[in-house]
Amino acid sequence: MTDATGVALATQGLAKRYGPRIALDGLDLRVPTGVVYGFLGPNGAGKTTTMRILTGLVHADAGRVELLGRPFGRGDRRRLFEVGSLIEAPSFYPFLSGRENLRALAAAGAPAPRGRIDELLTLVNLRDRAGDKVSGYSLGMKQRLGIAGALLSDPKLLLLDEPANGLDPAGIVGMRDTLRALAASGKTVFVSSHILSEVQQLADVVGIIARGRLVREGTIDQLLREEGAVRIRVAPDEVAVAAPILARVAGEGAVELDDGPEGGWLTVRIDPHRSSELNRALAESGVFAARIEGGATLESLFLGVTGSRPDVGTGTGGGEAPPPVVWATDPGRKQPETTGWSS
Amino acid sequence: MRLLRSNLRKLVRRPATWVTFLLLVALLLLIFVAIVASTAQESDPEVALAARLVVTFPEAYPVVLSLILGIGGLLALCYGGAIAGSEWQWGTLKAAVARGEGRSRYTLLTYAGVALFAILGLLAAFAVGVACAAVGATILDVPLDGMGDGRALGRLPEQVGRAALAVSMNTALGYAIATIARSQLAGIGVGIGVYFAEGIASIFLPSVIQWFPFSAAGAVVAQGGDVSFGGGGEAVATTVLDPNVAVVVVLAWLVAALGVSAVMTERAEIGG
Repeated sequence: MTDATGVALATQGLAKRYGPRIALDGLDLRVPTGVVYGFLGPNGAGKTTTMRILTGLVHADAGRVELLGRPFGRGDRRRLFEVGSLIEAPSFYPFLSGRENLRALAAAGAPAPRGRIDELLTLVNLRDRAGDKVSGYSLGMKQRLGIAGALLSDPKLLLLDEPANGLDPAGIVGMRDTLRALAASGKTVFVSSHILSEVQQLADVVGIIARGRLVREGTIDQLLREEGAVRIRVAPDEVAVAAPILARVAGEGAVELDDGPEGGWLTVRIDPHRSSELNRALAESGVFAARIEGGATLESLFLGVTGSRPDVGTGTGGGEAPPPVVWATDPGRKQPETTGWSS
Repeated sequence: MRLLRSNLRKLVRRPATWVTFLLLVALLLLIFVAIVASTAQESDPEVALAARLVVTFPEAYPVVLSLILGIGGLLALCYGGAIAGSEWQWGTLKAAVARGEGRSRYTLLTYAGVALFAILGLLAAFAVGVACAAVGATILDVPLDGMGDGRALGRLPEQVGRAALAVSMNTALGYAIATIARSQLAGIGVGIGVYFAEGIASIFLPSVIQWFPFSAAGAVVAQGGDVSFGGGGEAVATTVLDPNVAVVVVLAWLVAALGVSAVMTERAEIGG
């Protein structure tokens, strides 16, 4: 668990309780150096509590934290000199300007290099409004200023709690490019979020937390592959024939009969990239698939492993589930060249 | 020093600093206008003579200080409460701690800035008060010869120093209450409640209440048996501590308030 071995942040058995409520229940994290790590979880899963412990705002009841290869606990506040953070809402003095707020922040804790404030104000596209009082800033502008504050001391590890909150689309692209660039330069970015699309575009590695425990961790590709499923529709009277054929390819217990209203659907737990194998096996046995739908999405994975269920629009008494979300992917789409956070 | 400098810069820009000071000056002016107006119309020569003492130098020096401690004590408490409460409410303490700043260090240096401004406010208000007393004396035809009294002027630095200690303690008390409450409004509200409760309780339990913060603060510049403008904001003839004992009591309250602030901040789970 050291920086030298490529782990920027690690927790072991982290536990925290607020009265009778368990916020963290033995959380184990390993965040490799130089990656963008997406920390996902439903509301109340323990994301913010984790962030607060990592920044010394609250103390864990049990467990260990290592920041940049060294233990972090009570009395180790100087470990945070190499950590930048934005926890929950950005915090500023409303009667001071954006620049003055960054100056005030730079006076506490880790020193900031000379000229850093102007550099950051330019980066987050607030240079023109730097002299205005923060009380007149929009939510997105405050968020940008908060991210600038997190970057003040040129940290090796950046902890950001919902950084896209309030940002407009250009701001989100700018933030994403900035964070990717930071990771590319060897810094580690730990981003907590519940905006799955944002994390999918931004993170190299994700950890999914539910009820205070880490339930999945890995690269997005790896997790989707592991959790992958393929849905195959055959003629309803061929289901009994198709199931054992699919089981031969995917393994015993990997095939489930989908009891949906249309009938004829089978769900196969298998890497979606192997759907052609399934199709071939069926065809060779004279069974032809009417439809094949591939793959788990980060959303379906998230909902599955966290036990979250949509609580809006599903009606009552077993109404229809919402249609599956199809991710629009365009392999030819180029990454934007700009890193501007234009508004 | 970088943190203290930054705190001072923040406080200069902070509306609460100026609102508190202007309120103190406005109340002081109001009191002098009321004294001068009522003295001019007073038919009872004894009452008129007592009121004239407020504008008679050199006695006016400690009286002005006492007046400022009475009103200013409450305002200093509110000011300390506003600054400490806002650090929690706006999340700026959270941001500093997350950057690796020491909790106690941040709390005590923030207080140091607040206390410095409270003392500057006291000095400025004292200057305004003395000017008001001089104007009042002129209006009431009271000679101003005593203004340059060597003995009185020689005692002034010590008197002002004692008043500065009292104001610092009042500020620290508001600061501690708001730190416990983690809120500006709650801190100020509780502080005002304590101030008036002490004033009312001093009527019934003077020998006990004289050890309480506002009463002790009022006694640091009061002469034995003098009128004290202590807790409750009213001129109440109370059992007053010896000024030197009062200094020790005020110092104890100051240290206790700062200790509570530091310990509470150190032990707190910071969220929000």
